[in-house]
Amino acid sequence: MSITVTGKVEQSEIGIDTWALVTEEGETYELMDPPEQLCQSRTKVKVEGQVRDDVMTIAAIGPVLQINSFEVLEN
Amino acid sequence: MKKFLLFSLLFVVGIWFALSNFKGLAAQGEFDSIILDFREDIPTTEISQQIEAIAREYDRTANLNSIFSVGDNIYTLKGDKDLLNALRKSSLSQDTEYIEPNYIYEALETANDPRYNEQWNLQKINIEKAWDETKGDGITVAVIDTGVSRVPDLKQTNFVKGYDFVNNKENASDDNGHGTHVAGTIAQSTNNGYGVAGVAYKAKIMPLKVLSRSGGGTVADIAEAIRFAADNGADVINMSLGGGGESKLMKEAIDYAFSKNVAIIAAAGNSNANSSSYPARYPKVLSVSALNSTGSKASYSNYGAGVDISAPGGDREGGKILQETISPRTGEPIFVGLVGTSMASPHVAGVAALVKASGVSNPEQVYSVLKQSSLKVEKDPLNYYGAGQLDASAAVQQAEKGKITFRDFFRWLRDNGYLNPGFWFDGGAVALIPKIIMVVVGYLLAWFLRNYLPWTWALNGGIIMGSSGLFFLQGFYIFDLPQWPFRVMGSSIPELGNAIQGSIQLNPIFASVLIPFGLVALLLANPQGKWFAIGTSIGFASCLGVSAVVSPALWGLGTGIAAQSFLAINALLCFGLAYLASKGEKQLA
Repeated sequence: MSITVTGKVEQSEIGIDTWALVTEEGETYELMDPPEQLCQSRTKVKVEGQVRDDVMTIAAIGPVLQINSFEVLEN
Repeated sequence: MKKFLLFSLLFVVGIWFALSNFKGLAAQGEFDSIILDFREDIPTTEISQQIEAIAREYDRTANLNSIFSVGDNIYTLKGDKDLLNALRKSSLSQDTEYIEPNYIYEALETANDPRYNEQWNLQKINIEKAWDETKGDGITVAVIDTGVSRVPDLKQTNFVKGYDFVNNKENASDDNGHGTHVAGTIAQSTNNGYGVAGVAYKAKIMPLKVLSRSGGGTVADIAEAIRFAADNGADVINMSLGGGGESKLMKEAIDYAFSKNVAIIAAAGNSNANSSSYPARYPKVLSVSALNSTGSKASYSNYGAGVDISAPGGDREGGKILQETISPRTGEPIFVGLVGTSMASPHVAGVAALVKASGVSNPEQVYSVLKQSSLKVEKDPLNYYGAGQLDASAAVQQAEKGKITFRDFFRWLRDNGYLNPGFWFDGGAVALIPKIIMVVVGYLLAWFLRNYLPWTWALNGGIIMGSSGLFFLQGFYIFDLPQWPFRVMGSSIPELGNAIQGSIQLNPIFASVLIPFGLVALLLANPQGKWFAIGTSIGFASCLGVSAVVSPALWGLGTGIAAQSFLAINALLCFGLAYLASKGEKQLA
C-alpha cells in the first residue's frame, strides 16, 4: 500500500549514513536506499512510497519507507 | 488530646522502627589483617611493650608493615573484625593514632590496548573483574548484521565459518561498517598492544551478513541466518537490528535456535518508543535498551514493554562506543565511535558468552543470570532499564555459583510474563518492599484507632487506595499502546499527581493532607463514604510517612530535609484528621 509522507529530511545520529524523514507530528521514518539528491538536510520534502514491514535495519529508528518518488518542497 | 499525641508519637516511632533496617548497609571491604598506627610522640620502648602485650593476650605478632613504616610506626597483624573491636577497646587506643582494617585490594585483569582508556563503556559494565574469571573461551557468537571484516584489531580474534545471505556467498565481509563494529564490541582482539578491547575477546565470531551496504535486510534472510547459526554451533546470537512487523517465519527460527540452546540478544530499537521493536520483542529474545555515559537511558533508546536489560549505547553528547571497523566509503580500517541500542546489544551478547563460558548453557538460565546480576535501578517506573544495568562481573560470579534465585515474585512474573504476545508485565516497575510497608503501616495506624473504626469494605478500600494502591497494575503493558492508564490505575491516591508522566517525584498537591481533607469534608455525611474517607486519610498517613523515610522525592522540594519535613508533617496531619473524623463519628453514633 502506497503512502505519502511530508516532513523534513535529516541525517540520523544512529547507524551509518542513515537518513530520516521526520513529519510535523514527530513521527520518524527511515528512508530506504535514498537517492543521492535526498541525502542532505532539507526542511520540507514530500515522499511517496511504501512502508516495508518485512525489512529490518541497523538503525531501527522507525518504519522503513521505500521511496517511489519524492518532491522537494523547501530546501 | 493527650491520647492523640500519644498515637502520633507511637506512629512516628513505629515507622522509624519498621524502616530502621531498610536503608541498606554500607559497602564493606574484606580484610584479614589490621593496621596499627602508633603515635610518633611515644617512646619505642612503649611500642615494644604494647606489641608484647598483644602477643601475650591474643597470640598474634604485630610487625612493621615494611622498612618504610619505621618513621610512621605503622604495624600490621593478622586479625578479623572481633580482634579489631577488641583492640580498639583496649589501652592500645591511647597509644595509637588509629586502628583500622587492612582492606585487601586486588589487582584486576586489565588490557594493554592503547585506546582502552577511551572505552568508558567497558568500565561501566565492570568488565575487568569478569576477565579474572573468563574471557569467553570456547564460545561462539554469531553476529547477524552487515558482515564482519578482519580489520587489524580483529586479527587475533578467532572466527568460524559464516555466510553472506545478501550476496549468497561464504565470505561474509562487511561493506557498511556496522557489523564489524558490533563484532569488535563482542570480541575485539585484546591485550594485543593495539587499538581497543572487546568484552569476550577469546570467544569466536561467526559472521552472518543479512543486511546490505545501506544497512537494511529482509526478514527472510535474517530468519535463515538464525537457523544457520543454530545449526553450525553458535552459542549466542547478536542481532543489532530492528524494525518491521511480526513474522511467523522469524519467530519459528528464533524458537528453533532457542531450543538448540542458543541465547539470542537483540537491540530494543532507537525510536524512543515505549515498546521494543522486532526482533527484540519476541519472547525468547533478550531485549537491550541503551544507556549513555552517565548511566541514564540514552535519549533515542526504546523502553517499556519488552525491555529486559540495559547496557551502554552512548550518545552524541556524552561518549560514543569506540571500536575498529571499516569506512563504508573506502573500505579501509578506521576507529570510529557509534551510538545506538545496536551498540548496547553486543555488550550483553559478550557477557552472555562469558556466562556460557562459565558453565551455564541453557539460554533461559543465561537470561536469568544476566538479569538477576544486573545493577538494579530502584526507581524505574517507565521500564527504561529492564531488570537493571548490565554487570559483567556480577554475571560471571553468579554463573559460577550456578545458583538461580528469583529476586522476588514480581520479577519472576515479568521474566515469565509472556502469557500472551500482546501484553507484557514489568515486575521491576514498583519497589515492592516500600509498598508492603505502606499497607502494613496503614493497618497498624488503623489498629491504633480500632476503638473508633468499623471494619467495612469502604474503610479497607480507603486504606489500600491511600497507602499502596493496586500497585501491581503499574507493571502491565500492552504493546504499542500508551502505558499511563495502567500507571494511573495502579497508583495510590497520593501518587496520582505523578502517575501520568511516570515521574518518581511525588506531586506536593496530591501528596498532602489536601485530598483526605476534601474527602472527609465531602463524605462525612455519607454513611459508607465517610469510612472510605477516613480509611484514605489513614492510608495517606502511611504512604507519606513511609515515603518521608524511604524515598523523600517531592516535586519542587527535592529529596532532602525539606521534602522529608513536608511529607512527615502531612502524614501527621492525615493521621490527626482520621483520628478526629473517626472520633467525631463515634460520639455522634
